[in-house]
Amino acid sequence: MANLNLMLQELQTIAANPRTMLDKYLAEGKKVVGCFPIYSGEELVHAAGMIPMGIWGGQVNPSAAGQYVPIFICSIMRSCLEYGMQGKYKGISAVVMPILCDTFRGMSGAWRVGVTDVPLIGLIQPQNREVAGARDFLAAEYAAVKNKLAAIAGRPVEDAAIAASIEVYNAHSAIMYKFAEVANDHLDIITPKVRHAVMKSALFMEKSAHAAIVGDIVAELKKMPAHQWRGKRVLLTGITAEPDELLEFLSENNIAVVGDDLAQESRLYRTAIPAGNNPLDRLAAQWMERKACSTVHEEHNTRGDLLINMAKKYRADGVVICLMSFCDVEEYEYPMLAKKLEAAE
Amino acid sequence: MSEVAAQKPKRALPKSRIMVAEQTAKVYQDAWDAKARGEIIGWSTAIFPQEVCEALGIPVLYPENNAASISAKHLGDELIQHAEGPMRYPMNICSYARLNMALAEKIQDPAYDKADPLMPSPDFLLLANNSCTQLMKWYESLSRDLNIPIFFVDCLFNYDEEAPAPHKVTYIRQQIEHYITAMEQFSGKKLDREKFLEVQKRSQINSKLFDDIIKLNSRTPAPLSGFDFFNYMSCLVLCRGKQSTTDIFEQLKLEIEEHIANGTTTFPAEEKYRVHWEGIACWPNLGHNLKALKNYNVNAVINGYVTAWNVVYEPGNMDSMAAAYATSSTNSLSTNSIMNMRADTIKKYDCDGMLCHVNRSCKMMTFYIFVGRHIVEEQTGVPCTNFDGDQSDSRVYSEAQFETRLQGLVEIMQQNKEAKNG
Ligand code: SF4
Ligand code: SF4
Repeated sequence: MANLNLMLQELQTIAANPRTMLDKYLAEGKKVVGCFPIYSGEELVHAAGMIPMGIWGGQVNPSAAGQYVPIFICSIMRSCLEYGMQGKYKGISAVVMPILCDTFRGMSGAWRVGVTDVPLIGLIQPQNREVAGARDFLAAEYAAVKNKLAAIAGRPVEDAAIAASIEVYNAHSAIMYKFAEVANDHLDIITPKVRHAVMKSALFMEKSAHAAIVGDIVAELKKMPAHQWRGKRVLLTGITAEPDELLEFLSENNIAVVGDDLAQESRLYRTAIPAGNNPLDRLAAQWMERKACSTVHEEHNTRGDLLINMAKKYRADGVVICLMSFCDVEEYEYPMLAKKLEAAE
Repeated sequence: MSEVAAQKPKRALPKSRIMVAEQTAKVYQDAWDAKARGEIIGWSTAIFPQEVCEALGIPVLYPENNAASISAKHLGDELIQHAEGPMRYPMNICSYARLNMALAEKIQDPAYDKADPLMPSPDFLLLANNSCTQLMKWYESLSRDLNIPIFFVDCLFNYDEEAPAPHKVTYIRQQIEHYITAMEQFSGKKLDREKFLEVQKRSQINSKLFDDIIKLNSRTPAPLSGFDFFNYMSCLVLCRGKQSTTDIFEQLKLEIEEHIANGTTTFPAEEKYRVHWEGIACWPNLGHNLKALKNYNVNAVINGYVTAWNVVYEPGNMDSMAAAYATSSTNSLSTNSIMNMRADTIKKYDCDGMLCHVNRSCKMMTFYIFVGRHIVEEQTGVPCTNFDGDQSDSRVYSEAQFETRLQGLVEIMQQNKEAKNG
């Protein structure tokens, strides 16, 4: 138990202080590449021997960024640019930005003028996954990203290295999924805030190191008798469930989080990278299989059904739609989700 | 983008404007007639490969254009409120989308007649995301609500300044080819390749003609009030591949040449200042915009929005067509690319300033202004001024703010002129 607490404490500290991790990796002589949310080909950064680090901004009142971004964009991107302009990402060798929404289209320009010392590598996913060429397109796009990363790393990125990184990422996703399941038997310890920290800390750590800690946490939790939670149980859906005050508010009201469909959390882990021969094809194939995410075009939206099934599986009493202001992709789905979930009650 | 939109005419409308009105009325009527015959009709984003349905003879209407027309007639507020109220859409999403998604629901009631022009309910959707990603989410919502299919051409986004890489062009070409087959199956019609080629050629003729026409306004003083162009954009959106658009543009060209020959202009005051207008028009407030511009003797001789509809490619070459759809909407280009183009235009049109519409609906266009105006200022030395507005949501625009900002811009333009002349 003492060990468990220490590990959970460590992840909470990391989640709250990404800059400390960045400094640590830089001090170790590692190169760090910033990865914008949410599907930015981290595996390629990892395979290039560099540390992929999530770029999620933070709680800050943007001032400098106002020069380049309008007030009506999501707080994540406003704060990312603010941090970038304030030099908070100093030391990062480059950032990879997936162009998943209009704000990213604009941000790709804003970053290039605002944060001139951190070069931007663009990446765009094909949204029309009905045509066979979509997968080839993405593999070619990943190849372009890979070459840019290789130039930064100063070494070629071999297929074998990508395949090895894919294993690391698949193993990490699997353990995160396991953690989410096991956590539900220990809702007294894995409070909403703690759960979030375990998830969020992954964004700022090398994935095998994070997987090792989470694996130990899972093992410790499994040794303990299941806790009978008597409060309410909810699912979270949206981009993020931040700040911590929101999660503390849930705890104060005896509400536990028993599952999530957050872009910052489980959406990252629920689609494994499929098997195959060519590693770039495999990464592209993963995109082709992604579902129920507001940043991914689907012919028939599956997010409502996913949440309804999750609610049944985890015996949730409700779903909290964490609607990120000015996030178009989420805002367009809100009425559909709200109506579908209400009808399912 | 609406022919009903601009200033209240003191004189009789020029013939070209009457032709536009007739053409638009016919496009709507054709759609209603097809619907009455039990045939399919579609709704499409503004810069979609229209050549296919044009050649197949399937009527298509354009919600962005329709929303602009409804807004210009001050009929949009009720629909926008319906989207935000009973339909529960957040007010932060594009007002064209809010207006149109509400309209899509309202017109399911055959007695509904409050919007004008009214569109029949679509049987399919044509989606190209070259203007923005919101279009994709908007059309997903329509598709869900109306239970109809989307034919999608994902046009990507050019995050750098290079021409689209071959893998991008290939992906887009494959989608257009896939769309042709899928549409043939859906409609039960076979695409006549000869006709398809004809429509492609016609589209190129029209694009070129419009380009020539716009260039005529680079003369000082300009033969047209720049806002007049808004009245002709519907030709390129609704009827890019039609002979009737060629006829209209030829007529318009004649009229402009006549103005040039006679030394006359449609700008209703002396043109003391020439500005580049950046962004969509504020359709519900067009009258006020124009009045204020006239009062300050400012002709917005050119704007980026009217040039966004030119899709230039080599007829018969699908790769060239694919590349054109990936780069035609200026919104699909990086800030550097687009603002370098703007700076170039400002020089060519001898503009004294740039008036930028910070459009609450459109993150894309607003980002360009915020990120790129220094490019324009550095390259051209002309002052840029922002004002707040929205293309359809009348709650955002403030007449007082517009006038104050315009006045400020005029003062700087005046000082610059005095410094230059003095
Ligand atoms: S997807 Fe939403 S939260 Fe993410 S960058 Fe775009 S607008 Fe912001
Ligand atoms: S106004 Fe902007 S957000 Fe709306 S449809 Fe046009 S490009 Fe997209």
